[in-house]
Amino acid sequence: MIADPLKTQATSKMMDMQLREVAPASAHHEFVLEVNNFNVDYGVGENMVRAVNDVTLKLRRSQVLGVAGESGSGKSTLVYAMTRLLRAPGVISGGDVTLNITNDGDSDEVTPINLVTASEKELRQIRWSHVSIVLQSALNALNPVLRVGREFHEVLKTHRRELTKSQRHARSVELLKMVGLNEDRLARFPHELSGGQRQRIMIALALALDPELVIMDEPTTALDVVTQREIINELNELRSRYGFALIFITHDLSLLIELADEIVVMYAGAIIERAGASELYEAPRHPYTLGLINSFPPMHGDRRELTGIPGSPPDLAELPEGCSFAPRCPYAMARCLHEAPALLNIGDSDRSVACWLHTGDSSVTVPVELSRSSSPSRAHVTVLQDHT
Amino acid sequence: MSEITTTPAQLSVRHLTRHFTTRVPGRLLHAKRVVRAVDDASLDLVRGQVTAVVGESGSGKSVLARMLARIIAPTSGELILEGTTIPAGAKRTLEYASKVQLVLQDPYASTNPVHRIRHSLERPLLIHGAKKHDVEDLAKAALSRVSLDPPERFLDRYPHELSGGQLQRVSIARALCVKPDVLLADEPISMLDVSVRLGILNLLKGLCDNEHLAVLYITHDIASARYLADEIIVMYAGQIVERSRGTALVDEPTHPYTQLLIASVPDPSDPTSQASQSDEHSSYAVPEVGCRFAPRCPFVMDVCRTTDPPVFQVGEGHTSRCWLYADRPEAVVEMALPERRREGETTKT
Amino acid sequence: MRSLRLPRSPKVIIGLVIVGFFIIMTVIGPWLAPYDPSSTAFAPLLSPSAHHWLGTTSLGQDIFSQLLVGARATMVVALLAGLAATILSMTVGIAAGYLGGWSDEGLSLVSNVFLAIPGVPLLIVIDSYLPVNSRSNFFVIGLIISLTGWAWGARVLRAQTMSLRNRDFVEAARIIGEKRTRIMFTEVAPNLLPVLASSFLFTVLYSIGAYVTLAYIGLTSTAVWNWGTMLYWAQANNAPLSGEWYWFVPPGICIALVGTGLALVNFGIDEFINPRLRAGGLTARQRRQLGLPRRIRLGLTPVLHASSKPKIVPAHAKLVSQ
Repeated sequence: MIADPLKTQATSKMMDMQLREVAPASAHHEFVLEVNNFNVDYGVGENMVRAVNDVTLKLRRSQVLGVAGESGSGKSTLVYAMTRLLRAPGVISGGDVTLNITNDGDSDEVTPINLVTASEKELRQIRWSHVSIVLQSALNALNPVLRVGREFHEVLKTHRRELTKSQRHARSVELLKMVGLNEDRLARFPHELSGGQRQRIMIALALALDPELVIMDEPTTALDVVTQREIINELNELRSRYGFALIFITHDLSLLIELADEIVVMYAGAIIERAGASELYEAPRHPYTLGLINSFPPMHGDRRELTGIPGSPPDLAELPEGCSFAPRCPYAMARCLHEAPALLNIGDSDRSVACWLHTGDSSVTVPVELSRSSSPSRAHVTVLQDHT
Repeated sequence: MSEITTTPAQLSVRHLTRHFTTRVPGRLLHAKRVVRAVDDASLDLVRGQVTAVVGESGSGKSVLARMLARIIAPTSGELILEGTTIPAGAKRTLEYASKVQLVLQDPYASTNPVHRIRHSLERPLLIHGAKKHDVEDLAKAALSRVSLDPPERFLDRYPHELSGGQLQRVSIARALCVKPDVLLADEPISMLDVSVRLGILNLLKGLCDNEHLAVLYITHDIASARYLADEIIVMYAGQIVERSRGTALVDEPTHPYTQLLIASVPDPSDPTSQASQSDEHSSYAVPEVGCRFAPRCPFVMDVCRTTDPPVFQVGEGHTSRCWLYADRPEAVVEMALPERRREGETTKT
Repeated sequence: MRSLRLPRSPKVIIGLVIVGFFIIMTVIGPWLAPYDPSSTAFAPLLSPSAHHWLGTTSLGQDIFSQLLVGARATMVVALLAGLAATILSMTVGIAAGYLGGWSDEGLSLVSNVFLAIPGVPLLIVIDSYLPVNSRSNFFVIGLIISLTGWAWGARVLRAQTMSLRNRDFVEAARIIGEKRTRIMFTEVAPNLLPVLASSFLFTVLYSIGAYVTLAYIGLTSTAVWNWGTMLYWAQANNAPLSGEWYWFVPPGICIALVGTGLALVNFGIDEFINPRLRAGGLTARQRRQLGLPRRIRLGLTPVLHASSKPKIVPAHAKLVSQ
């Protein structure tokens, strides 16, 4: 499913970039993004609300990381702050975010850039060329008084100054073809296009400079199911062709399970479970993950009553003591109400969970539904095939 | 428990149609276009049953719900409430409002931000004849009915102090305050967090099972329709294209559009489900003649482009508006009326 | 109401202090006045002194007393006119915006006509047809001024109502069977409070101007003291030319101050009524404490390191650039 991404990158990245760092190639070049102990607050002082709490994650090149969570889980805040796009009163209050960008031509060498300390100028050079973002509402993101073609020209003009006008046009047409749109759409205004077409244009714009990392915040939530399916298929195809890494944020866990290689589930600003996509679905470990999975009525089998998760997502300003999910958790123990569990690796696998049920304490019996074993993951199989 | 109960429909609509005339942008004179928002829709809402209408945006499902609530007037067709026919041009009466209520999609938008929850509940009570000294108790009772406990905690809050799920319960409570027989719910869960959606669905189901309301559930999420409904109706571009009692429509879809819809739903339990992809992603204009789905249909035939397909009977209580089933008997009336089988055992285990 | 809080912006506080001062003056001014403003018992054209803080007129009247007594007429007429105009513009604007169709066409036509006719000339025409005894009546004058000052507010309210009309909560009210008038005045109108308040302030401002103008050109009863009649007499006696500044400058300053105060209060209306607007950013003090730049630019989330003394990490700190 994934073509050799580094090779694709090397051949297609013909443009030179202005940033030239002398830092040595990092040993972690397999990761395109590393986030360590990242904290984000809204406001400061007494009224401060912590929206992202101690998040650590790594994203391999060409992989899809799904971020699942409900409103107020901090999933959008996380990625906006990571790219320093979060607006005031958002403040980054700790941790760092390292983006390992490849230098052109030589795919083995990467330059680590700390986005948290980067200056405005550096951020400007990195954004779009190396990291690009697709937002939920394409209608708001596109300028209503500009024809679609102008948007492409502006982006290419700013970041690829050496291109002539006709080259820019050729590239725009190529980009539209990539996302399955006819070139006559370039002459249209945003309101003349359907929601799905606009979102395709946003994706084409995001890919215009061949970035290594694309971040999508609920890109299909406003779309119909059929259109969503078309876009997801399109994305899979584009990814296998161009090999960019993708962070996909959504509340729709069932969509992520299909799309992502790895999924992190966020609740009240923290990651509460991280696992491979099919592992997460087949063998969830955190009660919240299990509840989320059971919140989607099935398309097959007998109809039976599902209960979902009682209560509602917590207010970040008034988080309960201990585990923030404890008040809604059917398995909550006395300990959960006082001590917050840390995100720990479980077993010998590469997955982690923040739950007192899974700390290896022998006095705690783990319920059957939270200790199922999973078949070898699909993502894992794909990776193996790539290496052969 | 497959006894046949004869339940007359609480609210029926026959051949309900709504056309909107819009001006074609860019041309000043003469260029008017008729949008067929809802065309010839007939359905019955029966006490104790949930009827689900599934469709994408632009399918006309919300217009249909608003015509049933009579806040949009139909172009033609009639509504029959408890056996009394309401002519197309008649004004909406307070009595009608007390029988048929509509819950809107976005709970944040449908409660007035400047008023307390108390206002949202006491107004319908007062309008529909409650005594002034009773309204507080009745409002509390309504909140308890939608599981907002204790009710005192919610009455004096402002909408922005509640979560989306709580606010949607308030919207439902507001509708229940007028003691309706028919509850129409227009995408009641689409704006809510995943973890609270089932709570709302179960609440609707409970109102239907325990209090024998007739419920119309409008949604774009076919999985939730399958979960909830006794009858499922699929709409495309203003027309009912397929309908079935029970889950037959999801388990064995017959109309190509329903098939596409179901294949598009992300389904982790079936990793092979991937809808076939079409190449040209332009928005498909609805043709003036012939089947409205023809431009997108993988099985399109010549007849589809020239003649609007009639409705064929593809199974028991299962009809499909598609020429592929031309060998089946044509359904005379859209569904067998007014008798229907109450399928108790398939809805609950 | 929970959402009402004390304003923090200095502009608004100054505005409130000024307006508050004049409102107190309206209430107690006539009692404070040391002399009868019409009494001609003093020597004419005295300069300001301890006895006559602002001197006397050419007829020997105490100017300070005129100023204090005149405040009541000026402010009462202005507030009355502002209130009447706001009620009128609310009724017409909300009805036109909510009802739409022919009602909208008709009501909009009327308000456009009133907008198009210049206000003060119309006032002069109406006023000159008034019987003389009603020219001294606050209510009559206030109503007439409000007639020429409501149309602008009605236009704004109509536009706002049209955007509210299709909101879900209005639809929800219709679904439960709420009557149209009730929807307009209990569901729509409270959401227009900021616009209404702003429109009220501006019509009060306009009314002061209009009333003073009418009085200045001698079209109100000279038996009623207000700041405009003071200016009228000052002008009639050539006070500006003969350098008797204490006669015409104080009423002028009062008019300007009330106007400034109202305009400043208007700044705070949104902040006052809708605290959510304020939550949009860090306050200036917070930014100072953090050592953050005064203007936080889009696309550059500030970084705060969890040390005891918060300060922003200098850019380029860890970047080895050429």
